[in-house]
Amino acid sequence: MTPLVAALLAFVVAVAVVTALARDVLVATVAFAAYSLGLAVLWVVFDAPDVALTEAAVGAGVVTALFVAVLSRTTRPVGGRSFSLSVSPTVVIVVGALTAALVATVPSLPAVGDPDAPAFDGAAAYYLQETGAYGIDNAVTAVLVVFRGFDTFGEIAVVFTAVVAVLVVRGRGDA
Amino acid sequence: MKPYHESPVVTHTVRVVAPFILTFGLFTLLHGTKSVGGGFQGGVIVASVAVLFAFAFGVSQTEATLPGVRIVAFAALGLLSFAAVAGAALVVGRPFLDTTAFGVSPVYPVEVIEVAIGVTVASVVTGLFFELARADDA
Repeated sequence: MTPLVAALLAFVVAVAVVTALARDVLVATVAFAAYSLGLAVLWVVFDAPDVALTEAAVGAGVVTALFVAVLSRTTRPVGGRSFSLSVSPTVVIVVGALTAALVATVPSLPAVGDPDAPAFDGAAAYYLQETGAYGIDNAVTAVLVVFRGFDTFGEIAVVFTAVVAVLVVRGRGDA
Repeated sequence: MKPYHESPVVTHTVRVVAPFILTFGLFTLLHGTKSVGGGFQGGVIVASVAVLFAFAFGVSQTEATLPGVRIVAFAALGLLSFAAVAGAALVVGRPFLDTTAFGVSPVYPVEVIEVAIGVTVASVVTGLFFELARADDA
């Protein structure tokens, strides 16, 4: 792990903690945007510019704009009213056990970029080999539209459903 | 959103920057087969221009030029265009979504699909932002 990656990871973890702990929702929103931007830079360092571009545009850009837009329509409660945080021991035990179980599986994951990882077993080689035959230079686009086109079609349907759902909830279904 | 008092610095900057962002968005969208980018990223960048205008000139001002019904129509147009390209392969007796079915380089149907994705993503992001940002009485 290079110092750059270590610094970026530390930054991402730090702003993630700020996002979770911030009392002010606007602070949390801004910290969340910083978290997304940190991840985007991290994807660039990991040679995944397509993911980085999406993370920067959607995570840091659109999501922040949507959150700020919604926040601007809320009001801040006046006075020193604050809600106390009480956590039941059962929740701590269940969440702790689940986290421990998930973390226990981490050592059995292949290392980042390991050529023997299952993901590189056959599919990746096939994609890389066939991408050129389609006249497409960007393997990510080829996977998205050609090899996994059905998934992408479903994703677009989901995106379309999102706006329809918001219009219906906002009572603009007749518009 | 609260009533917004236009700042000449902001509105002028947005006016100057918008065509460049739009061009970059279209480049990202159309150049997805050659380099980094694609319909999702390009669509979001194009939509960010609408968001930028909404921040500079106010939501209702910007929305007056892009009524909601047309935004949904564009979102549906993108989805249906994708379906049309995918289904056209069936018409010529090839599998659904077969981009090699049309006797031309697969790049062309892929580009059409990318544009369709971009149209849907751009209009959905724009629509979501306007719906969430608009004041209830507007």
